[in-house]
Amino acid sequence: MFKREYKYNFKSFLIWTTITLGIFLIVYLMYPSIVSSDNIKMIDEMMKVFPPEMLKAFNMDIASMNSAYGWLKSEGFVFVLLIIGCYAGILGANILLKEENDKTVEYLNSLPIKRTSIVLNKVLVGLINITLLVLLLGIFNYIGLTLSGDFDIKQFILLSITPLFPALVLFFTCLFISTFTHKTKKTLGISLGIVLISYILQTLSTIAEPVEFLKYFSAFTLADIRNVIMNVSINPFMIIITIILSLMFLSLTIIHYNKKELV
Amino acid sequence: MKNILEIKNLTKYYGKVLAVKDLSLELKPGEIFGFIGPNGAGKSTTIRSIMNLINKTKGEVYFLGETLTKNNLKLKEQIGYLPSEISLYEELTVKEMLDYHESFYKKDLSKRRKELVKKLKLDETKKIEDLSLGNQKKLGIVLALMHEPKLLILDEPTSGLDPIMQQVFYDLLKEEKEKGTTIFYSTHILSEISKICDRVGIIKEGTLLKVESIKELQAKNLTNVTITSKEIDKIGKELNVKVEKIDSETIKFKNTLASNELIKILSKYEIKKLLIEEPSLEDVFLHYYK
Repeated sequence: MFKREYKYNFKSFLIWTTITLGIFLIVYLMYPSIVSSDNIKMIDEMMKVFPPEMLKAFNMDIASMNSAYGWLKSEGFVFVLLIIGCYAGILGANILLKEENDKTVEYLNSLPIKRTSIVLNKVLVGLINITLLVLLLGIFNYIGLTLSGDFDIKQFILLSITPLFPALVLFFTCLFISTFTHKTKKTLGISLGIVLISYILQTLSTIAEPVEFLKYFSAFTLADIRNVIMNVSINPFMIIITIILSLMFLSLTIIHYNKKELV
Repeated sequence: MKNILEIKNLTKYYGKVLAVKDLSLELKPGEIFGFIGPNGAGKSTTIRSIMNLINKTKGEVYFLGETLTKNNLKLKEQIGYLPSEISLYEELTVKEMLDYHESFYKKDLSKRRKELVKKLKLDETKKIEDLSLGNQKKLGIVLALMHEPKLLILDEPTSGLDPIMQQVFYDLLKEEKEKGTTIFYSTHILSEISKICDRVGIIKEGTLLKVESIKELQAKNLTNVTITSKEIDKIGKELNVKVEKIDSETIKFKNTLASNELIKILSKYEIKKLLIEEPSLEDVFLHYYK
């Protein structure tokens, strides 16, 4: 089952990977000309115009845009988090539900396999693909940055790992939500909505102090990029929370899927 | 003899709508049990409850004396299931689909697989998305039979099959029966039941109305007869049944006489046209169970 599932999902994985790497390739190709020109001074001047809260939201207060690595730490990671988050959310919403949407579930259910095993096989495929996307993007960025100038390797490695935390929580959240419906059409919008709202909540919590509490409702808080940039370390608390939330949603998915009417 | 499958007091509500009401029946080893009823009667709901695709509101299903739960893999291994509308993985070829199916079973299925593919003339190189409805059904039949199950559950299995393939399929079922396989055969086609089944259960509006052997059913010999003759009034009188007059020379009636007896009476008269039709399911229901 794992083999077929992996083969089936590999196509969409390739598309997502190609698009993501394509975006970053463009940046790496363009950045040398931006950095060497006078434009970079103008960009730095322009940054001063923005309110400090706004700069903080995109980590521009602790990372300068005068290098490719500086860009990656600020704007670049907004893309990384959102792209990997969207991929994880959509994958979670579809991977189990697709069998019901395509009506193959009637055949699958007649086979000698437990519903829990069905969930676990699919989850394994999801986890491998999300981790691979994070890994490939990390390797690609490493090559890009190596060709673009100096950068802190340890900080970069830790930064590259962080998108995995929100992505896993988003994957399992959307997987759980998908057990409440029979059609993928319904969950696609919901999963993308969850990813975007989660990101907005995290951004708002950084911009305005009175709504700082919103960070507790966002999966992206788990990426904790500011801490990684400033202290060159991952807060173990974020790893623990990621594992707890992932296991909680996985358990809820298994419990609910075992009770679900599949047709 | 111990029953292979026992359904006890099965009740299923979809919200407030009652789909199956307190249904109980037993299947004996090696029999082909026909399950017949019009669309929406509760046939598929009963089957989906047996297969644990949906949750029963009430009732139990026992297979080989054990409760058939969704996680009882030992029992599931011995069931072959063909849904009424089969949906398979379209991106796979027939060969890949059969390999995939095989991977779930511990025993070697290759011999039976080859036999079935040959009998049903399936092209293993074709992609499932390129198969016609009939060929998809044929693939579904191979999937249901290839692991040599003890119980076969078939929901409208001949829909989409051409007459030649239907015959091949009936022969396959006879082979399975000879091997001792028990078959639960759901259909709304009455002629299929009389052709292959040993017993029949009739379901209407979620209620199992009657379980009868085919011999009992055939003994009742219900047919719809239309006769056109100049002597139609005399014929009507002699038949002594309630007739519907179509025109001055034609009558139509539900016949319960033995065929020999009917022919004997009609042979006395000059008949312009005689039409003997199989009754619709609705006719059977109305005749026996109104």
